[in-house]
This record gives sequence, C-alpha cells and structure tokens, in this order.
Amino acid sequence: MRTDDHRDWKLSLGAYALGDLPPDERAAVAAHLEGCEECRAELRSLEGVAALLPLADPARIEQPTARPPADLGARIEAQIAAESAREGRARKRRRLRLGFGGAIAAAAVAAALAIAILPGSSGESSPAQKVDFASLPKGVSIDATLEPHAFGTEIEMYVSGVRSGTLCRVFLRDAKGRTYSAGSFRYRWGEDSHAVLSSALDLSQAKVIGVHAGDRTFMAPVDQATALVGGAGIDAT
Amino acid sequence: MGALTRERDVREAYAAHSGELYGFAVRSLGDAGLAEEAVQETFLRAWRAGDRFDPEIGSLRTWLFAILRNVVIDLGRARAARPRVAEGGVEPSVEPLEQALLAWQVEEAMRRIGEDHRKVLLETHFRARPYSEVAEELGVPEGTIKSRVYYGLRALRVALEEMGYED
Repeated sequence: MRTDDHRDWKLSLGAYALGDLPPDERAAVAAHLEGCEECRAELRSLEGVAALLPLADPARIEQPTARPPADLGARIEAQIAAESAREGRARKRRRLRLGFGGAIAAAAVAAALAIAILPGSSGESSPAQKVDFASLPKGVSIDATLEPHAFGTEIEMYVSGVRSGTLCRVFLRDAKGRTYSAGSFRYRWGEDSHAVLSSALDLSQAKVIGVHAGDRTFMAPVDQATALVGGAGIDAT
Repeated sequence: MGALTRERDVREAYAAHSGELYGFAVRSLGDAGLAEEAVQETFLRAWRAGDRFDPEIGSLRTWLFAILRNVVIDLGRARAARPRVAEGGVEPSVEPLEQALLAWQVEEAMRRIGEDHRKVLLETHFRARPYSEVAEELGVPEGTIKSRVYYGLRALRVALEEMGYED
C-alpha cells in the first residue's frame, strides 16, 4: 500500500465514525480497516468522540462562551478574607477557653468538621451547646450552637438549603410554652450564612429552639442535661 | 500540604478555572445570577476544605467541578418548590447533571476548535446536510469537507482531553 493511499483512507475515518459515508465508500473503508491496525486504532479514538457529539446542543455551541462578571473574583476574595479573619479570632478564643492541651484538640475538631464558630464571652469557661435539628427535609440543614450569658442566650446559627432571601426568625421556648424571640436574619445563598442572635431567655430555661424560615417552621429540643452540666453556675449573676 | 490553604491559592484557582465553572453553571442552572452564586459558593467550599485537596489524587480542576456539581444539586433542591420535596416529591436525580457536565464539555470543546472545523461539523453532523451541499456553499471540494470532519474530530478529542475527558 502506498503512503498516499493510507492517508486518504485515514481522512475518511471521521466520516466513517460519524456514519456519514455512502454504502460503497463505507464498504471500501471497512475492507481497508480489516488489514490496517493503525487505522483501526485511529477509528477507535474517533468513535469515542463521535459518540459524545449527540449530547451537544448546536444552538449552544454557537453562543459565545459565558463569562463570569468581572468583579466576582474580588467578591469571593473579600468573603474569604472575612471568614479567615473570623476563624483566627475564634481560634484565639478557643485557646483561651480550653487551655493549651485543649486547644490542640479543638483545632483538630474545628479543622475536621468546620463547625460553627463560637463567639464566646470574654474568656470564661462557659461551654456552648450544639443543638441537633434531627428531622429536616432533605437538602435543608440547620446547625445551632447555644451559649449561656448573663443577658440570656446567645445563638449561633448556620442554615443551608432554603431559598436564597428567605427570612429566618429564630426563637426559644420555655417549659411553659412561652416564646422568646431571638431575632431574625435573611439567608443569602453563597453569602456568609452564619447568624449570631440573642434571646432574653436563660439557656437553663430553654426547652425548644425554633426557626420560622419563610412559611415553614423547624424546631429542635434543647438538651438541658448537657446545658446544665456544663453551664451551671457560670452565668449565675 | 493542600493546594488551597492560602488566600492566594484561591485567587490562582479562580483565575485558572472560574470561566469554565461559570460556563457550566450557566448551562445547568439556566440563569446567570444563580450561576454566579454557584461559583462563589464553590470557591468558598473549596477554601474551607482546602486542606483536604490532594493533588496526588486528582487535578484541582476535577476537584472544583466535583464541588460545583454538589453546589448545583443543592441549589437545584433549594430552588425546586420546597414544599413538594418535603411532602415526598421526587428528588432531582443526579444523572442528568453528570450528563449536563459532559454535554457542556462537548459544547465547550466545539467552541475551542478552529472555525473551519467547527462549521463543517455543525453543518454536516448537527444539521445533517450532505457533504456536497456544504462543499458547494463553502466553495471547496467535497474531499476537503471530509478531511475537515476528520481533523475536526481529532481536534475535538484533544480539546476534550484538555478538559479532563478520557475514554
């Protein structure tokens, strides 16, 4: 076989892979493929691509490539810088609170879980209580950390999976069913979704924490056993 | 040592990959605003988990696309009428998204190959026009159309491989 012939055969392989050749030409190429390992390998490679072509939408191909807004990168950087600064402050607080040995463990836990930052009171050993919102719809997640204070309870909340822009109103409820507002925040998708709130109800009195998110309400029990063991006496002012 | 533990790493990752991530986000979410949010969330999640990225295991690009894929699923769920999901509606399935990613890669690869090759593949394959007709329109011999189809497919393959495709 002459090289020129071989090259001609090769140039037909694209049309062959796409099934575009008329029957006689197709048969001729098939006959050549029988005896040409190089063309068979080339064909396999082209067929892989040809099989993907039907996925593409020709109208989209002809649209220009979508470009992100020019300031998006700067916005992301600013957000990361802010988060980074908060992380640094939180680490310092944890060290103060737990002492040297505990700090290593706390740093490890924080790194592993990336849990909510605990904005603490000034160096007192008041432990925070993490609340478990157990029965949430799939896709929705709520983490809340409650911390006792002289004024009542500080709540750090992290929400995800609800519609961007959703108004979230947080409350605590005591044993008698009385509701104490802890304020509100708006969930913004992709923005910092930690909210720090406060309620006048003492953590030791709180039985339930709840969030009205848009037209839905999610509630979780506050585990007094945990709260009392860790928190007793600390804020007895 | 992860590759995304410093703020500078994120800046570099953004410069290298934000265009593609955004392009795919626009395609799968069908909305520029949502796509923006998705890209932003992707880089935030990547940064938060930066020490878990291991270049030995896979490329940064692949890792970022995997995060974006999850973000798009989350965003799709959040956007889908939530009450219906809560009442036991069907969850958005994962499969169409994988397919959307592949489809976007093919479209993006088509945009990256030369104009001559793209035009010929579009007309003959996607619009199913005969080679002779396209040859006449472009004023070239039919054999040229055939060879452009061949080189077009090869270029497409290279472009796809650059985007991480392997068969």
